[in-house]
Amino acid sequence: MVNDINKLRNIGISAHIDSGKTTLTERILFYTKRIFAIHEVKGKDGVGATMDSMELERERGITIASAATHCEWKGYRINIIDTPGHVDFTIEVERALRVMDGAILILCAVGGVQSQSITVDRQMNRYKVPRIAFINKCDRSGADPYKVVEQLRRKLNHNAVLMQIPIGLEDKFSGVVDLVSMKALYFEGVNGEEVRTGEIPAEILEQAQAQREELLDAASMFSDDLMEAILEDRVSDDLICQAVREGTLSRKLTPVFIGSAYKNVGVQLVLDAVNQYLPAPDEVENMSLDLGQDEKEVSLKTDPEMPVVALAFKLEVTPYGQLTYLRIYQGSIGKGDNLIITRTRRKLKVGRLVRMHAGQMEDLTRAYAGDIVALFGVDCNSGDTFTDGRLHYSMSSMFVPEPVISLAINPKDHKAQNNMSRALNRFVKEDPTFRSHVDQESGETIVSGMGELHLDVYVERMRREFSAEVETGNPQVAYREAITRRISFDYIHKKQTGGSGQYGRVAGFMEPSDEGVYEFVSQVKGGVIPTEFLPAVDKGFQSCLTKGQALGFPVLGMRVTVNDGQSHSVDSSERAFRQAAIGAFRQAYMKAKPVILEPIMKVSVESPSEYQGSVLSSINQRRGLITSSTEDGTFTIVEAEVPLAEMFGYATVLRSLTQGKAEFTMEFSRYAKVPESIAKELKSSAEKRSKGEKKS
Amino acid sequence: MKDFISVSPLKVLEKSSRKSLGPGNLGVLIARAGVGKTACLIHIAFDRIFRQEKLVHISLEEGPEKVTSYYNVMYYDLVKALNIADESEIRLLIDRNRMILAYLKQSFETERLRISLKNLAENLEFRPDTLIVDGLDFERAERTLFEGFKDIAKEFDAEVWFSALSHRHITEVNERGIPHPCQQFDDLFSIIIELKPGTSGVFLNLLKDHDNPAIVDNGVRLDPNTFLALS
Repeated sequence: MVNDINKLRNIGISAHIDSGKTTLTERILFYTKRIFAIHEVKGKDGVGATMDSMELERERGITIASAATHCEWKGYRINIIDTPGHVDFTIEVERALRVMDGAILILCAVGGVQSQSITVDRQMNRYKVPRIAFINKCDRSGADPYKVVEQLRRKLNHNAVLMQIPIGLEDKFSGVVDLVSMKALYFEGVNGEEVRTGEIPAEILEQAQAQREELLDAASMFSDDLMEAILEDRVSDDLICQAVREGTLSRKLTPVFIGSAYKNVGVQLVLDAVNQYLPAPDEVENMSLDLGQDEKEVSLKTDPEMPVVALAFKLEVTPYGQLTYLRIYQGSIGKGDNLIITRTRRKLKVGRLVRMHAGQMEDLTRAYAGDIVALFGVDCNSGDTFTDGRLHYSMSSMFVPEPVISLAINPKDHKAQNNMSRALNRFVKEDPTFRSHVDQESGETIVSGMGELHLDVYVERMRREFSAEVETGNPQVAYREAITRRISFDYIHKKQTGGSGQYGRVAGFMEPSDEGVYEFVSQVKGGVIPTEFLPAVDKGFQSCLTKGQALGFPVLGMRVTVNDGQSHSVDSSERAFRQAAIGAFRQAYMKAKPVILEPIMKVSVESPSEYQGSVLSSINQRRGLITSSTEDGTFTIVEAEVPLAEMFGYATVLRSLTQGKAEFTMEFSRYAKVPESIAKELKSSAEKRSKGEKKS
Repeated sequence: MKDFISVSPLKVLEKSSRKSLGPGNLGVLIARAGVGKTACLIHIAFDRIFRQEKLVHISLEEGPEKVTSYYNVMYYDLVKALNIADESEIRLLIDRNRMILAYLKQSFETERLRISLKNLAENLEFRPDTLIVDGLDFERAERTLFEGFKDIAKEFDAEVWFSALSHRHITEVNERGIPHPCQQFDDLFSIIIELKPGTSGVFLNLLKDHDNPAIVDNGVRLDPNTFLALS
């Protein structure tokens, strides 16, 4: 086992759905001898690819949850984090991006760069992940890697440069020309495991020379040595690789490789490229927040001797208990060590420390900074930071959007009820964008998430993994309320008839808060409200925020300032002040002119340009505000903000408008006031509901 | 937003013969790199939007995200400079009255613009009063391109503002005093303004004022930080 950190790579494989990332991962595991047979996604052999650890994924032929696996290639250790490509599973992608140092961006040689590749690429930019690109499926009819390189440049703004050119294409695709060594490479043997080197076929020699010139031009921008060598005609393979590496690490160059994972062409060269061009853990800067210094940003050092900082980025339930995937950023973790979870300050002892290979595991005694490992039997949430107690650090929090859609779910029988609650408990820990609660009025379990598909998948996972058969209601939009004006309150809670009395007076004002969150400000002077009762006042107000008086939706963005009050030496208590705050809220809330807010989604529709008018019209009909239209080659990308409530079923509408040629993505943008007409509709349906409840 | 209109760089047109560029006409801001052409164009955009007019910003270099963030930066500087307390209504006005059309990697053709403008009018009832064209390479542009823009300006009854990059080392002007790179096409432009840095600020000078041959002393001095007109 090699422990040299320079020879460690933590990489992700990320791409548009169906571009073949699971197949590529499977081949990588085969060539690195982690598996000894190849199974296909949607395989006829019924086994399915190794990285698709969940049954559901096997059935759908897609990857939903990320799984980490480990392999070795030519003396380098590689941790691969497989990531989902669908935008509804954004949190999974983002979490994986957080812990990877580099990535392989897979593109389909036929489909090219599609709108979801753009989303994934945008996320990679956000986490500053250097990447190499692999144009897969060059054996397919219609494959055109040159077109895809051009799209990489135009659509994703990559300085993409071909490192190889294909020998033949579509059904004649037989190998690649390596533009660094200027050799033809063929992949022979039953599974393409034997790489045979040959001379470049004469008919593509000129093209190979031209492409190599392009490669040298691009690479020389990152190395004066290479530039000089070009001028002096003494270019070496090492100089080119070094320059390409510089460019890749600075994220100013994207080397592009080509092949067909399915036909076993080019995969070993992608592994070589991972070793050569993607960064080692100590070549990437990772930041953490020092909670002891007012969340000051601090840089972590990939040094095994320093205090431990590690991030739990993925939880998985296994037959043996909870498995927590961990990236160690600093220090080392050994079996029997004590760790502390920063969020809860809870101490835990490291029991079993393992390295995962999608479903199989290898026990370790110690793991070091830079590595990705897994712990057994640790009770924590995804996104938790672990330290050895010497540092009070938290890894900078991942962007976790608020859920925007909810669904009522009801178990079909008693057995399903128990299984459902086990499943929900697990999902909530795994995915911070997935929430669950029981509605107090209806008694129904409500799950909330980021989109229809997001919730659909969890419902299916409940059925398959937890045998929880559930019935679902219609999706509901997460409306909110917010006050619009400043209103004073002055409320006395007094109950002095029989038994121990209650007395508390709370005065002040409530006003809209710009930040969109609840704030409690105490300006109480002279102890008119004793300090020990102020938290109860705060809690009293907070308890009212879960259900606004306008239409019963949770309240957003309110600042409450308490500046006066009164207490009684005997009858005042926490309970009395809490009740006084509730009374004050009720007294003032409706006077503060609350409005109803709805989630607004940022929607991006990509279609051939001839459908621009239809797309604009379809968004306009959905109360959308179109912000831009971008022409890119023959495609147009329309960006808009559209209320979520109007987006149900849009996929079907868009398909029929554009003969299935358009795609759209959406993500939560903000909350905005609903128009008066919609507010009236919501009010009347709330009234109907409430009448119905009274009758029953 | 009367406050803004009184300090808008378009004050330079107050002394012009028609006080504005006017529908169907082309106008251009000429400046060297880094002087603030785009900032001035965005102020022209704000000027139109705050007058409740519709505007299309055509970007030939950057995607809409960058254009929007440029507007945001300029907007927040403006809010700060003019000490605007409640700006949510203005924000909404900008969002509703501005449309960004981006054309990446040489995908621009006047015909495509015409189709997009038609689509905006027919499907959204968005009929711009002003078009802002940023990032057009005047040195490579051919006369037919500007003629195409002129046709669009007339067809859609809109005024069109451009920015043009000049160079320190190219000093020649044509017989009408119009510098590079507009000297070939100055007949197609109704308003030509030069943006020049000086010791006490940035100066806007009117070089062409419609058909008016007698241009008087018309300079407007701009604050080099905010690009707002100084009194």
